[in-house]
Amino acid sequence: MTFKEILKITANLVVLYVAGGLILAAVYVKTAPIIAEKAAQEKKEALQKMMPDADTIQKLGDWKPHGKLAEYFVAKKDGAVIGYVVQTFAKGYSSYINILFSVNNNFVVQQIDILHHAETPGLGDEITTKWFKGQFHGKDMEHLKVVKRETTEYIQAISGATISSRAVTKDGIKKGLKFLEKALKGEKQHEPPTARKG
Amino acid sequence: MNHLQQEKVSYWGLIKNGIFKENTIFRLVISLCPSIAVTNSVRNGFLLGVAVLFVQTMVNSTVALLRNFIHPRIRLPIFMLIISGWVTVVDLLMQAYARAAYKEMGLYIEIIVAFASILARAEMFASKNKVGAAFFDGLGSGLGFLVALVLISFFRELLGRGSLWGFQIVHTKPMLIMLMPTGGFLVVGLLMGFFNWIDINFYGGKGAGGAGGH
Repeated sequence: MTFKEILKITANLVVLYVAGGLILAAVYVKTAPIIAEKAAQEKKEALQKMMPDADTIQKLGDWKPHGKLAEYFVAKKDGAVIGYVVQTFAKGYSSYINILFSVNNNFVVQQIDILHHAETPGLGDEITTKWFKGQFHGKDMEHLKVVKRETTEYIQAISGATISSRAVTKDGIKKGLKFLEKALKGEKQHEPPTARKG
Repeated sequence: MNHLQQEKVSYWGLIKNGIFKENTIFRLVISLCPSIAVTNSVRNGFLLGVAVLFVQTMVNSTVALLRNFIHPRIRLPIFMLIISGWVTVVDLLMQAYARAAYKEMGLYIEIIVAFASILARAEMFASKNKVGAAFFDGLGSGLGFLVALVLISFFRELLGRGSLWGFQIVHTKPMLIMLMPTGGFLVVGLLMGFFNWIDINFYGGKGAGGAGGH
């Protein structure tokens, strides 16, 4: 290889990669604000869906499951607290699963939703099915447990995706619920006791 | 691939070639990873197939368009740039303008970057042919990939879940093993054998052979 050829190859590589980088940057600049806006909109809708009866959903604070920033909220109707919504991250089979769940005042799970995940298509991604998410309705701390047989009392594992099922249940929701109870206990001392109705 | 360059091949011929004679999975035996990883339901197989079909066609066209500006010694890094560039662009555009579709297909789009089949078509065909021919070659091999994935997932979902595209069809206890990678290997192997058998017995071929790749 002559020196001239090396120069030619280098120039070729540089020109094409810079061009590719510029195209990507242009697309990114154009799409990033739209993506952020739509994601924020979706999050708002997802929160409302968690607590359909609530008229206001207020942020209570942040917490850091697996070192990732997550939020938790209080849901109110006519000024009275009717429940809480917690965002959490669970360590799944191939990704951190971003989960949103709501509980009523007795810390019984109402609804859950999977905001984002990258579990195995066809197996782990069944955590987003209505059937799986629906199982969580009405479960309290003791019944947030994955079993590998047919059950309505506990959470039934997805066949072929026990790790993902367990992650959502134990590392996600159960841990989130424990955190919520602890966080509220700490907060209650500052609040007047009438702020939470049974 | 000399036979393709020398003969004047029709566009329809290129499409047929991609589906049958040079089918990515059953004939060239490349991109076997996705053919097992995401074929446990027809819907998954189909969605990945569509994503690959699109990316393959765009990558092939771009490579053919730029083929005279790419120095042969650095063609592979340039092909990778084109592939990952297209995948990123599609990913961003879908996130911004087609969120419903992105929620269904986002998982699949992102993994295409590493597919050997896309790089293989760019190297084997698009870098040596005109844009029109490369476009139809991409269309053909993309369709071939799609057909293969749907065929594999058809058997796996039917036997493993007793359903097709999520609709329950058979109500017996399903063979769960078909949903696991083990079942994927079995189905891909049996189908490949079946196509080899047809090729050898009816068309006088020598069967599939390939270097493999993921």
